[in-house]
Amino acid sequence: MGLLDPALLWLAAWGRAVRFAGIALAAALSPSTYRARTRDVALKQIYFTAWQILPGFVLFAAVFSLIVIRISVTAAREYGLAQYALEIVLRTLVLELIPLVTALFVALRSGAAIATEVALMQSSGEIRRMQEEGEDPVVLEFVPRVAAAAVSVLSLTVVSCGVALVLAYYAMYGFSPWGAQEYTRTIALVFDMAALGGFTLKCMLFGAAVAVIPIAAGLHATERVKSVPVAVLGGMVRLFFALGAIEVAALAVKYV
Amino acid sequence: MEREPGFTPVPRNLSFRVALLLALTLVIGIGFVGYVLYARGVFEATQRLTLVAENAEGVSVGMDLTYAGFPVGRVNRISLGEDGKARIDIAVPKVDARWLRATTIFTLERGIVGGAKLRAYTTNLQDAPLPDGAVRQILRGDATEEIPQMVATMRAILENLENVTGTGGSLQANLGNLRTITGRMAGRHGVLGGTLGNDEDAKKVIAVIERANALLASLAESAKKLDSVLAKTDQRVFGAGGVMDETQKAAQQANAILTEVRESLKRVDTILSNAQTVSENARAATTDLQALRAEVDASIRKVGQLIDEINRKWPFERKTDIKLP
Repeated sequence: MGLLDPALLWLAAWGRAVRFAGIALAAALSPSTYRARTRDVALKQIYFTAWQILPGFVLFAAVFSLIVIRISVTAAREYGLAQYALEIVLRTLVLELIPLVTALFVALRSGAAIATEVALMQSSGEIRRMQEEGEDPVVLEFVPRVAAAAVSVLSLTVVSCGVALVLAYYAMYGFSPWGAQEYTRTIALVFDMAALGGFTLKCMLFGAAVAVIPIAAGLHATERVKSVPVAVLGGMVRLFFALGAIEVAALAVKYV
Repeated sequence: MEREPGFTPVPRNLSFRVALLLALTLVIGIGFVGYVLYARGVFEATQRLTLVAENAEGVSVGMDLTYAGFPVGRVNRISLGEDGKARIDIAVPKVDARWLRATTIFTLERGIVGGAKLRAYTTNLQDAPLPDGAVRQILRGDATEEIPQMVATMRAILENLENVTGTGGSLQANLGNLRTITGRMAGRHGVLGGTLGNDEDAKKVIAVIERANALLASLAESAKKLDSVLAKTDQRVFGAGGVMDETQKAAQQANAILTEVRESLKRVDTILSNAQTVSENARAATTDLQALRAEVDASIRKVGQLIDEINRKWPFERKTDIKLP
């Protein structure tokens, strides 16, 4: 049994995350969730998750994109495959790397914060108090955060991808307008409706995972303060695992 | 929310900032989707073109159809037709359709490196434009497809070459035979021996040639004898005192006689003329005389004809005309 215990615990933790995801989804779909208080929570969460880090993150994404684009374009030209350089850049950078990096960035910054916050709420007995007062913490605190995290990840991804698209044009053609036709053609080739739909869905899943898994982990904390770091740690590991799994699944659907 | 990190106070225009961020996201997102739709030709009027290929390997949806290196159409759909041939549906923007004519040739090319390429070649841009929904056969050019076939053919050729040149091969046998033949040619009967294969046959051929020579010699003898016979015949028929000579003499005599007859008749004619002159007054008599003269004339003509005939048959007298007074 000693060997099975960690596996069972691991499974139970995933089960809690999935269960919480179901509850959050159900709450998100019920109209009673949408009121002034939840809107406030959501706005604050978006502000802290996306707006605050926007300049820094866009700068980071721009530098990261520029380096990846330069490497891809130079390598493709050296191999005499320059006509595929832009396509490679768009497929790897815009469709795969930037969403994943954004999700990891948000997970590191806000996921950890959310997990800690919820764990502390649990530890301080605030959640128990809310339940005793007849308030539903899922509706009041968690669903707005999940929604806000999803929107934030989507928003940051879209902005960084926009920057990456502009940089890709610049890296390929400089400031000349005469690459527009070829660029447009490559865009049409890479972004078919399935790719766009898959991209949006992936970003939403990333965003949801960034909030759902830390909250579910935080809820597992007990009233003992020492349980908080354990809960946060487990939540963050599961979050990174989940992000990787979503990315791998998306790649598998697209290319396998 | 006092639970949030205390050193980042929530600004008062929180809603505005968040709305700004969401608006920026929406603008970029919707703008990009619109751009993709534009790029994919959703807002463009297109016409359909279906290319039929034996094999659509390497063709993918979204691939370009190029004319002179410029994209003029995009693959919309690839399907396998009822006839087992691949049908490649291409959307050609109306703006670019002018490069495609009724006589345009479409090719599917695959290089060793890189994807397949759909190309259009129009030689005459004045031809009738390509109709909407046209179905065209596609020509395939595939560098890699030929390689296995080429290798197989080459292997077969090399095997044949090996069989021909190897020990016990036909080339060796032929060279051996050639050596035998040249050996015989260098022998007693020369080329004849080489051609016929053995000395016996060569001897026979030589004997045949010798017999033919003898036969020709005897034929020459016979010809000489025939010559002398002919000479004698000539002597007897045409020689002095020969058959022909006698006949000629007889004819000459007949000719002389007839000439004399003609002279006599001329004289009679003269007499009759005189008589006509004498008896000019007596018309009645003259009429009879004229009839008589006509008869005499007829007789002379007959005799003349007779002489002519003899002369024609025995042409010794060249002078054929008869002069009448």
